[in-house]
Amino acid sequence: MPEGTVHEAEVHAVLSARSKPRSNGTIKKKVVGLSAALVIALVLPQVVTNTYWLGLLNFLIIYSILCLSLNLILGFTGLLSLGHAAFYGIGAYTTAILMTRYHVGFLPAMLASAMLALVFSLFLGIPASKVRGDYFTLLTIAFGEIFRLIAQAWIGFTGGAMGIVGIPIPKVFGMPIRTETQFYYLGLILLAITFVCLTIIVQSRIGRALIAIREDELAAKSMGINTPWYIIMAFTIGSFFAAVAGSFLAVYQTTVTPSNFRLEESCLMIIMVIVGGMGNLWAPLAGVLIMTLATEMFRSLAEYRMLIIGGIMMLVLLFRPQGIFGSSAFKD
Amino acid sequence: MLKVESLVAGYGNIKVLHQISIEVGKGELVAVLGANGAGKTTLLKTISGLIKASAGTVRFDNADITRYPAEKIVGAGISHVPEGRNVFARSTVLVNLEMGAFLRQDKAGVKNDIEKYLAMFPILGERHAQLAGTLSGGEQQMLAIARGLMSRPKLLLLDEPSMGLAPFLVNEIMKIIKELHREGISILLIEQNVHKALKVTQRAYVMELGQIRRHGKSMELLESDVIQKSYLGEKQNPKRRA
Repeated sequence: MPEGTVHEAEVHAVLSARSKPRSNGTIKKKVVGLSAALVIALVLPQVVTNTYWLGLLNFLIIYSILCLSLNLILGFTGLLSLGHAAFYGIGAYTTAILMTRYHVGFLPAMLASAMLALVFSLFLGIPASKVRGDYFTLLTIAFGEIFRLIAQAWIGFTGGAMGIVGIPIPKVFGMPIRTETQFYYLGLILLAITFVCLTIIVQSRIGRALIAIREDELAAKSMGINTPWYIIMAFTIGSFFAAVAGSFLAVYQTTVTPSNFRLEESCLMIIMVIVGGMGNLWAPLAGVLIMTLATEMFRSLAEYRMLIIGGIMMLVLLFRPQGIFGSSAFKD
Repeated sequence: MLKVESLVAGYGNIKVLHQISIEVGKGELVAVLGANGAGKTTLLKTISGLIKASAGTVRFDNADITRYPAEKIVGAGISHVPEGRNVFARSTVLVNLEMGAFLRQDKAGVKNDIEKYLAMFPILGERHAQLAGTLSGGEQQMLAIARGLMSRPKLLLLDEPSMGLAPFLVNEIMKIIKELHREGISILLIEQNVHKALKVTQRAYVMELGQIRRHGKSMELLESDVIQKSYLGEKQNPKRRA
């Protein structure tokens, strides 16, 4: 009897299990977990009525969308992009300008913002996909800085350092969104859409291709994966959702200024993704929660709270390099 | 089947390959030998589209594939098993094999092939759920070969499969290569282990500084003076070798 036969039955079982999406137990657990999270998210504004905390929740939602989308680029594809804030900014400014000057409704403005970010991400992504590592990161930094400088200097169009103020109240299917709670539910819907879209993407062959590229690009290529195509795809999809977050920020804050989209914002998103965990779709949400709460709790320390945030990050990197819930670490 | 003519390629302005011409017939097992830096890996990478040729042609099954992107070349039936194994370290053996079939649509066929190769490489069968990075060097090499086979290639390009392996494992790998050849896959094997490579292959090319210096039947090369001197150390009576 050949050695292989001992394991054939087992292998067969594993393979058959894999052809169905998941075994029943894991699916049940996932459904229970997701519905619990959803119920808590839906009930939360009934319990939390304090405006300050509701405002914090809304920023949590914005950062969640940003970090979920950044995770596709950073966690799944392994590209360290420091330009995510620029796409967030492109989304915010486009929505702000369309709504204040051209009286476009919120939903069309948001869609246009995301599409514009997608176009710009192609401008950056196509040349950037030809380089890797530090060079890629430098290109994204340059792009982020160019965006911020244009936003600051082109006073006639972007309002310069003062930014754009008086963004009108958004209407969604005729319903005006005014209170913190209403913004919360709007944000939650956007977050849910982002989550569902990204889940579908990472579980498809696209997700597998991205992980293969992260793990070993040469091997990915020799498997027949068109690596530049997938890298550009991850980059544009991530930027699209960053712009959705920006669009929501614009109507929520009613103002946008260049200081919302500095390099520090991109760094903060990266910290959140790393602390939460890369390469696991929902793990960055933990990073968002921890870092936002830490920033708020130590607000009294003013600038010094960055020390604590830096400290948290170092602890995570030392003791849990893959992040709190992550499945992948940076390669040595 | 594969016909490379006057191929010139390199990195930027540095030319590594100077007018290389080689051929692999259907069902043949051919070696390209040479010292470090001779351009063997560059030759394979140019054939599989990872590097663009600056002149010359690569023809495969009568189609000119010189300008094809890498993924189209895989689709055409050439599978490249890169040097240094390059398995997806943080994925399981099973996922690695599935990735090898990335371009295939026939799910049932993929499943069958996975079972086939796990049976062919029993150690992989035993470790199918293990992360590829935790396998030993020899096991990773077997996985890399099996993964390369998952695209159902007509031609398999093997880049130094014996590199960094213990002598016992080198023999194992060579046995596997012979077995694959018997199954009818054409193989282009790149090796520094000249002696072993000449023993398993039918024909061989010897590369030096980006050019083909010699080529001929492997058995004849094994006994020729030049090869004996430059690659196998002092001339000995080959018949005395076990």
